[in-house]
Amino acid sequence: MTPMGRWSIVVAGIAALLAAPFALRALPVDDAGTDAAALLTQVQEAEDHPYSGYVESQGTLQLPVTDGFTDVGALLGEETRMRVWWRGEDRWRVDKLLTTGEVDLVHDDRGTTRWRYAQDDVQRSPDPDIRLPRTADLLPPSVARMLLDDVDAEDVERIEARRVAGIDAPGLRLSPASEQSSIEHVDLWADPDSGVPLRVAVVGKGARTVAFTSEFREFSAATPSAGSVAFRAPPGAEVSFDDVLDIADAANQYAPLVPPASLAGLAKGPQADGAVGVYGAGMTRLLAVPLRDQDAGPLREQLARTPGVREVRRGTVVALGPLGVMLTGGEGDGGWLLAGTVTGDTLVTAARDVTTGTLVRR
Amino acid sequence: MIAVELHQLLRSRRTWVTILMIDSLPTLVAVLLGVTEVGPRPGTGPAFLSAVLTDGTLFPLAAIAIVLPLFMPIAVSIVAGESIAGEAQQGTLRYLLVRPVARTRLLVAKLVSVMVFVLLTLAVVAATAYVTGTLLLGDAPVAATTTVSGTTLTQQELILRTLLALAYAMLSMFGVASIALCLSTFVDAPLGAALGTLAVLVASTLLLTLDAADSIAPYLLTRYWLAFVDLFRDPILWRDVVRGALLQVVYVAVFLGIAWANFATKDVKD
Amino acid sequence: MIRTHGLTKRYGGILAVDDVDLDVREGDVYGFLGANGSGKTTTVRMLLGLVLATSGTAEVLGEAMPRHAGRVLPEVGALVESPGAYPRLSGRANLRVHDALGRGRRSGRAGRVDDVLDRVGLGGVDERPVASYSLGMRQRLGLAHALLGHPRLLVLDEPTNGLDPQGIHEIRDLLLELHAGGTTIFLSSHLLAEIEQLATRVGVLDRGRLVIEDDLATLTRPTGRTYLRTRDVDRARALLDGQVEHVGEDHLLVRVDDVAELNALLVRDGVRVTELAPERRTLEDVVLAATVAGSDRIERG
Repeated sequence: MTPMGRWSIVVAGIAALLAAPFALRALPVDDAGTDAAALLTQVQEAEDHPYSGYVESQGTLQLPVTDGFTDVGALLGEETRMRVWWRGEDRWRVDKLLTTGEVDLVHDDRGTTRWRYAQDDVQRSPDPDIRLPRTADLLPPSVARMLLDDVDAEDVERIEARRVAGIDAPGLRLSPASEQSSIEHVDLWADPDSGVPLRVAVVGKGARTVAFTSEFREFSAATPSAGSVAFRAPPGAEVSFDDVLDIADAANQYAPLVPPASLAGLAKGPQADGAVGVYGAGMTRLLAVPLRDQDAGPLREQLARTPGVREVRRGTVVALGPLGVMLTGGEGDGGWLLAGTVTGDTLVTAARDVTTGTLVRR
Repeated sequence: MIAVELHQLLRSRRTWVTILMIDSLPTLVAVLLGVTEVGPRPGTGPAFLSAVLTDGTLFPLAAIAIVLPLFMPIAVSIVAGESIAGEAQQGTLRYLLVRPVARTRLLVAKLVSVMVFVLLTLAVVAATAYVTGTLLLGDAPVAATTTVSGTTLTQQELILRTLLALAYAMLSMFGVASIALCLSTFVDAPLGAALGTLAVLVASTLLLTLDAADSIAPYLLTRYWLAFVDLFRDPILWRDVVRGALLQVVYVAVFLGIAWANFATKDVKD
Repeated sequence: MIRTHGLTKRYGGILAVDDVDLDVREGDVYGFLGANGSGKTTTVRMLLGLVLATSGTAEVLGEAMPRHAGRVLPEVGALVESPGAYPRLSGRANLRVHDALGRGRRSGRAGRVDDVLDRVGLGGVDERPVASYSLGMRQRLGLAHALLGHPRLLVLDEPTNGLDPQGIHEIRDLLLELHAGGTTIFLSSHLLAEIEQLATRVGVLDRGRLVIEDDLATLTRPTGRTYLRTRDVDRARALLDGQVEHVGEDHLLVRVDDVAELNALLVRDGVRVTELAPERRTLEDVVLAATVAGSDRIERG
């Protein structure tokens, strides 16, 4: 064989090898042509459909977080790899995969168990209504459920189908009806058979790029086995029981405050029965958490160093893509942390409402 | 040819000195951990290194995690970089070829010999680590080892998965070996091939830390090297392991192809 | 045994070997002469399939090279330029490795290795690594490599390089012995004397071109002229007017049919002849006449 012959064989082979993945990706995506309203209904009806798979989420929000807020900053600002087995709302397991370990959440009707490999510990806790976001909230179906709860057919339109986890998934674009929302739109692609959302992408108001995505890379709509969501503490692991899950839960249980029934026109949700208020619905949501000085101080410092921060009369406010964060009060005070998918003006109004309208419990 | 190559490899004192040097690092780590009982802070340091304090039978894996990112690839680059260029430099290549040894067969024999070297090194590292691990480090419940997912493994499952991890680590070195072998057919000095391969490794490692390089990350040589940790999740997460294996196969195919095209028609002048 | 046709090798813009037609016959000791850099080694490498020809064909032992290298090369022993050996192994171990790569079975290996070591005068060598060998020992080891497996054709590039006169003599005897045993030898060298003493046929390469290829006997046979040395150059010249082709200070070159008659004529006329012989050319004369200065010589422009 001539040198030219050999080289051409090798070059052709290499080209074929390298082109193969691109060729597969370039295969046309099948779209059954379901209309937007029907697809929305299908997705809403699939709310507690079981599933399992592998999920990657990617957030770009650089939250100014302090120790008290555990890994919220990482969840919304970095890539998170998860495996999930979801039998139903109160029977699931979500493993957060780390390069050299895992943090698993296993949920059953008694509460949530957290297993951390690197620390070799198991923590059991009840599952409060009011808590900070955790890995399970990043799953496309969880994100979709939260954002969809007040969406109706007028707010949605069809977008091009997309291949997600090997499935040709029809797409839906949700645009918030409320002017107060800081979300431009949310794109969602769902499994055409089960209706389970496979990919969610959130775009903030005025932004061109996606602020947060979460998508399945492997997906099955079959009910996972009971064994896959069971957990028994391994021998030797340190087991603890915690009444209080996180800073929001603590504030909710112990702060002697009752926030007003509505903030900036957004109504308080039914699950908020303590000191923490959850307001609004769907793509316009707001969380109000009272913080003690020792928690508020460091957070205020962090906020002050965040690019784009504004000092207003009642506190410090910053918009991080579709997420607005405000801390009321000044140095040396406690304050209310207001965070949510609302505009800066809404936050300022909400700050006024919460500082004037809060009742103190006796 | 393969038999002769292996014979030469196993007889060479250098082979064993290299293996010993690679082996000494995890052994040192085991001694230090055993004496001080201070593990790395959670989430830092090589995989399994904090777990071995309670369960010494995991130390072979920790040892692999220690040597795989740097020590092994350096040794493999040097050994594989030497394969053709080294023969050329000491003037034995032309005599091999006029013996005659077919050029393609020579390439394959060299690759096999490098992979046997990798296998041998991993086997020695794992065996030493098992001994030091069980002697110096924690001896947890004999019957059960905790997986990353918090379930327990029986002795058999542990052995099986450790062997799988060893096989995966060996496969991970395949790509390095073929790059070095390929470069070795181009350059005159063995060191050039070894350094060239290390440059590829460093570039790959660096690009992986760069968000801007996300789109090419799945194609980088070192991307899936540490995926053997996934073998210790429960159930096993095959995704990255399979991708890693396929990626190595592609690297081997590409670079061996180039090596073949180049070497089979190359003028042997030294 | 070796036949090339239009063999050409070009490295970039440089023509290393230019249209060479070699013809080596069975039973030859073929002396392949050429200055350093004349393309000898490149030609040898092309014959062995190490270097691929740019154009032209080569046939060794009746088969095309490098296509049938697998069939041809087992019957060829080669020493290319310098001997090559694994420096950390002993000479014996090197030969064993080499033997194992060939067709030989394992059973007779030690015997074959000892045999070639004896032939090249390294029979008593110990297990020292080759790295400690002298140049001469390495050269002998290289020859031993070439002799493994009783090749029908030996291709030797500068085989006596680095040997002392005694060693050169031994190797020459060895080659003559092999030749007598029926081995064809292709001997490439830049040493005229070596070729003159060994070769039956000679090819001369000059700047990549084969300028002479003939039997040594033909090249150095009498020229047909008679060499006449005398103290009376002028008288002899006058006497032999018309037959003299060259006049030197103390000799003449004469073309005559009958040397006996010439002798009688000269004696009769009282010309004092000191030497009378047929003119012969040395190989050196032939080569110098056919080539230009060595390519390693660079004249001021």
